[in-house]
Amino acid sequence: MFEAFELMVFYENMIALNNVSITCDEGKIVGIFGSNSAGKSTLMYALSGIVLDIKKKEEMRGGERISVFGRIFFNGNDVTTVEPHQRARMGIILCPERRRIFAESSVMENLKIGAYLATGKETKENIDYVLDLFPRLKDHLKRQGGFLSGGEQQMLAIGRALMANPKVLLLDEPLLGLSPAYQDIVINGTKAIRDTKGISIIVTEQYARPVMPIIDFAYILENGSSVLSGTREELMDNPDVKAAYFGV
Amino acid sequence: MQLIIYGIINSITLSLMSLGFTLVYSISRVPNFAHGALYILSGYLVWLFINKFAGFPYPLAIIVAISLTAIVGALIYRFILIRIRGMEISEIIATYAIGLAILEGLRWGGLRGGTFTLPTFAAGSVNLFDVSVDYQRLIIVGVGILTFILLYAFTRYTKIGLALRGIAQDERAAMMLGINSDMTAIVSLAIGSALSGFAAVLLLPLGNIVVETGYNVLIFAIAVCVIGGLGSWGGTIVASFVIGFAQLLTEAFISTHYQMVVALLAIIVTLLVKPSGIFGKQKELEERV
Repeated sequence: MFEAFELMVFYENMIALNNVSITCDEGKIVGIFGSNSAGKSTLMYALSGIVLDIKKKEEMRGGERISVFGRIFFNGNDVTTVEPHQRARMGIILCPERRRIFAESSVMENLKIGAYLATGKETKENIDYVLDLFPRLKDHLKRQGGFLSGGEQQMLAIGRALMANPKVLLLDEPLLGLSPAYQDIVINGTKAIRDTKGISIIVTEQYARPVMPIIDFAYILENGSSVLSGTREELMDNPDVKAAYFGV
Repeated sequence: MQLIIYGIINSITLSLMSLGFTLVYSISRVPNFAHGALYILSGYLVWLFINKFAGFPYPLAIIVAISLTAIVGALIYRFILIRIRGMEISEIIATYAIGLAILEGLRWGGLRGGTFTLPTFAAGSVNLFDVSVDYQRLIIVGVGILTFILLYAFTRYTKIGLALRGIAQDERAAMMLGINSDMTAIVSLAIGSALSGFAAVLLLPLGNIVVETGYNVLIFAIAVCVIGGLGSWGGTIVASFVIGFAQLLTEAFISTHYQMVVALLAIIVTLLVKPSGIFGKQKELEERV
């Protein structure tokens, strides 16, 4: 359903993604694991099209030269050159690293801004859905996004992405800096999104352990290349993976 | 008493003048230095319609002129700013050049001397607390306050308004949610230009349409924005009142000639004491981290 073939991204001469191909089938949760600078965020930017915007801005300013190669397909359509806001319209929604909440807007407004692509009726339904999914947000609806704790901001960021009616939800490091309690909430929420709405999810993370129980398939990135891939069981049995990503 | 009433009027006049500039900057981070030119352009268009086309009703002329100004603003973005987006210096040079071209073009086209005036909306005056205030100024205050309220509601309760605020806060995060940043920038320039045209229509009946006013309006708008904190709406209104009253005080106790000096001096003082402006807290924090 959502496929990327032989993605390569260069920042000047530095290779950020090297020949990475990934596939996410409908209703699956796919994990992307790798350490810092393995290329996770670049991959997410490439999949959501943000890299095209970065490239355009850099070109305009005469800054860094960014080259993108490879092909991306969504439901059989080639979306490689489609701009990010149009990809969002097709249902590819990125929930970015470090959350990027609209800090000066209240929680409710954040959700409403997220609902830009939805109709009025969908917006109401989605707000109810998000508040059911993350009941903690209910207590802070009027509070400014910037004043929420990290965990609450992450729930809000996922909720905001859900407002846009995603078909594929890209979660970039959703557990970054969260306490174990909040990690559980976010992970359970992620699974619930897939189970109740059938939304396909691609999730990146440095540490595989908390995410592992909910994923169907995973890729492991190292220095921009995909070094390993497999179903959850296959990866769990691999001793290298165990040592590197589970800390066992 | 006179000082207070005229102070309020002067302050609201100033904030109307700078509202368009603030709006464009806060949403698309484009410092629109063609702001003053669009102000005069709109006033001149109204004058043109009611004087050159016989029987053109005044209200219709206003609506057409404001719409045309909005279209000019949108075109400026669509054909010029879109190529240099994100490079502040280029944006300033380009918009200032457009402003110069419009203003000096109008001057060349015959906008000279004191013969260009717009009729007031309602003649006569009324006594408020023993101070005589003409209706036009009362209309300015009323419509000005109404404009703030409408803009506030627009950015909070409509889909486009919320999208504009999203883009203003984090362009890329908004893009990920399907908001087109070029579209919102065009909309913001159109609304900003329309607002400057709207201010012109309200304020110009009090004086003559002269090219120099265009430059003055730009300077006032920049002064208000710098003092209030660039891109901050609350700051714009507070700063308008600070400058508005400061100007009247200098007028009452020193001399009328120093009005412009007050605005410029206020910029210098603000930049020395608190560079981010009165309400520029957030930016200040970002700079620190």
